[in-house]
Amino acid sequence: MFFHIVLERNMQLHPRHFGRDLRDKIVSKLMKDVEGTCSGRHGFIVAITGIESVGKGLIRDGTGFVTFPVKYQCVVFRPFKGEVVEAVVTMVNKMGFFAEAGPVQIFVSNHLIPDDMEFQSGDMPNYTTSDGSVKIQKDSEVRLKIIGTRVDATEIFCIGTIKDDFLGVISDPGATS
Amino acid sequence: MGSIEPFNRLVKLAARAFYDDITTKGENQPKTGRSDNRGIAVVILDALTRRQWVREEDLAKDLKLHTKQLRRTLRFFEEEKLVTRDHRKETAKGAKIYNAAVAATGDGQQTGREGDEKLKMHTHSYCCLDYAQIYDVVRYRLHRMKKKLKDELESKNTVQEYICPSCNKRYTALDALRLISPYDEYFHCESCNGVLVAESDKLTSQDIGDGDDNVRRRRHEKLKDLLTNMEDQLKPLIDQLGRVKDLPVPEFGSLQAWEVRANAAGRTGNGDPNSNDPSKSSQGLGFGGTPMPYVGETKVEVAFTGDDEKGENIKSINTNAPMKILPPWMLKEGMNYTKEQLGETKPEANLGGKSVESELSDDKKSATVNNEAKSIQDEYVKAYYAAILERQREQEEMVKAQESSNTSTSAEVSTMLTDRQVGMKSKRNDYDREDDVEWEEAAPPTSSTSVHYKVDLNVEAEAFEDDEDDDIDWEEGGSSSTKHERVHASRPLSSTAVRRDSRKEFMQKRHSIGSLQREAEKIEGSSGSPWHRPEMDVLQKCDHDESDIESRFLAKTFVKTKKLLVHVLQP
Repeated sequence: MFFHIVLERNMQLHPRHFGRDLRDKIVSKLMKDVEGTCSGRHGFIVAITGIESVGKGLIRDGTGFVTFPVKYQCVVFRPFKGEVVEAVVTMVNKMGFFAEAGPVQIFVSNHLIPDDMEFQSGDMPNYTTSDGSVKIQKDSEVRLKIIGTRVDATEIFCIGTIKDDFLGVISDPGATS
Repeated sequence: MGSIEPFNRLVKLAARAFYDDITTKGENQPKTGRSDNRGIAVVILDALTRRQWVREEDLAKDLKLHTKQLRRTLRFFEEEKLVTRDHRKETAKGAKIYNAAVAATGDGQQTGREGDEKLKMHTHSYCCLDYAQIYDVVRYRLHRMKKKLKDELESKNTVQEYICPSCNKRYTALDALRLISPYDEYFHCESCNGVLVAESDKLTSQDIGDGDDNVRRRRHEKLKDLLTNMEDQLKPLIDQLGRVKDLPVPEFGSLQAWEVRANAAGRTGNGDPNSNDPSKSSQGLGFGGTPMPYVGETKVEVAFTGDDEKGENIKSINTNAPMKILPPWMLKEGMNYTKEQLGETKPEANLGGKSVESELSDDKKSATVNNEAKSIQDEYVKAYYAAILERQREQEEMVKAQESSNTSTSAEVSTMLTDRQVGMKSKRNDYDREDDVEWEEAAPPTSSTSVHYKVDLNVEAEAFEDDEDDDIDWEEGGSSSTKHERVHASRPLSSTAVRRDSRKEFMQKRHSIGSLQREAEKIEGSSGSPWHRPEMDVLQKCDHDESDIESRFLAKTFVKTKKLLVHVLQP
């Protein structure tokens, strides 16, 4: 699920950036540092949408670096148990398949794949129904439900299921071609 | 405070459903047959339903358990959130307040305590059932069981587990990212690089396989069976939960609050103008905590009138709140029903008495002589005879049991022998025997059709109406059995004399019933009660003081006789 929240971070700025465009420097450095990271508490920081305030800088003794407390608005993505997401399959093997929903990796184990889908090994390993109408292979798009998450300090990993109503390959002809 | 009986039933059902085979075994104890204490948990819970706040030592004494063992079990129950416990340092005075509270509630389970003055700031533990919490705990437990089974059944919301066959390390699907190897399509163990195997669900772990169709179907069926079995077998419990749902939960409050309340109730009860024994009211007041010197403290249990009892009951336990009429299938579930007791105890009280004369000539005479009050003596003798009777019956059963169970008998027999050799009077054995009765009472009366023995009762009732009237009054006052006995003790002498005559007549009738009953029990064998195990007997024989026994015997026999007769008279 996506959230738009305000976070705070202390930015350290090298003295060489001090000048007219000090503010811009802070913002660009913040974006570089923060976007794409993951915190266990808030999830993945997808994008910074604005700066709330930049506090007073504090000069560090000895180094000359200045620390600015920056409040910024950002969009975060955090997967939850029970959430239904759409994801792209990245790898298929005998144990199940891996998929990615944006930054989040999701594993669907083979016992959470519908019973009528069989694993087919080969050059392009895939899960196929007996009549061959539905096929899950690399780069397929699937809709799945998250049934478990493991949230570390810097990483979020999920397991999902497609063994439920309305889950499975998204049969959008344009997407699968 | 609401009626406590449905909640007690809930506790008993839950105990049998979930805590049946809990053993609290120390790690260093040998695993012999004797130390097999499964079922203790149920016994303790049952005992707690008959009490309110109780000191753990007293409970241990009543149950003939080691305090250590009892504590271990209680600690377990505390973790399970079934009981609340309270520990406090207290002096003799604190103990007295508690005693008074116990006496006031009239649950009568406490024993005479002579050693009060010796206690000097000891830490005492008290425990009490927490009905509100029990209700929630049981509901939650059922909910979890059902949910787990359902989830497994639909293999929904289950995180697949993987196990390394070589080093037995376990992983979940959440570790999948770390386990994939670039070279093949299997998961590999992090430590030994072996190929991981998907583990099937814990409930059906015997069929480890990679989940082909057959295995899956079999598992499915098994789970379904489990679920239906669970629903079948726990139906009484679930029904009881539903019944209890809208009832107000009996709340004893904290130990202190309870003591204060019980004492207050006891005082008002004793102040009842109808009390016909002058001595007891003063005693009751003294117990309220006013430090006046009074004599006969230990006899407090004996000295309440029925009127007092009634008053106290309403205020403190409320057991006589209107009970629902129970459907017939519930009657055999092993509970104390007030109605049932009412019926059965009547004849018992009477029949015990008339037998006295014949038995008195035995060696036991000396024991009774030292009681001044004639009425007490009368009751004692009554109880004693009943105990003897019970003992005979027990011994018969014992012989049977020995024949049937070869393994446990040797231990039992040996302890019994030692008991006697040490020079204990046979009375002591009686005492033990009686406690067996208490155990048995927890068991469901096997096939009691209440209609049947009610007929018996009516017949007997005609023989001595005056007694019956009294008894009925008392019985209706509450289900607690000791109250009844106290009442007897305080009765004027004249009525007992009258009773004695009528009892003689009754004796003959009862004899025939009794012999029939004994026959029936022989046929049934020892199967009557699941809680009557040989191990229990052994446990119960653990140390008692000789001195102790006398007074406790007095108090207890009254209770026990009744229970025992209930047993005997069942057709």
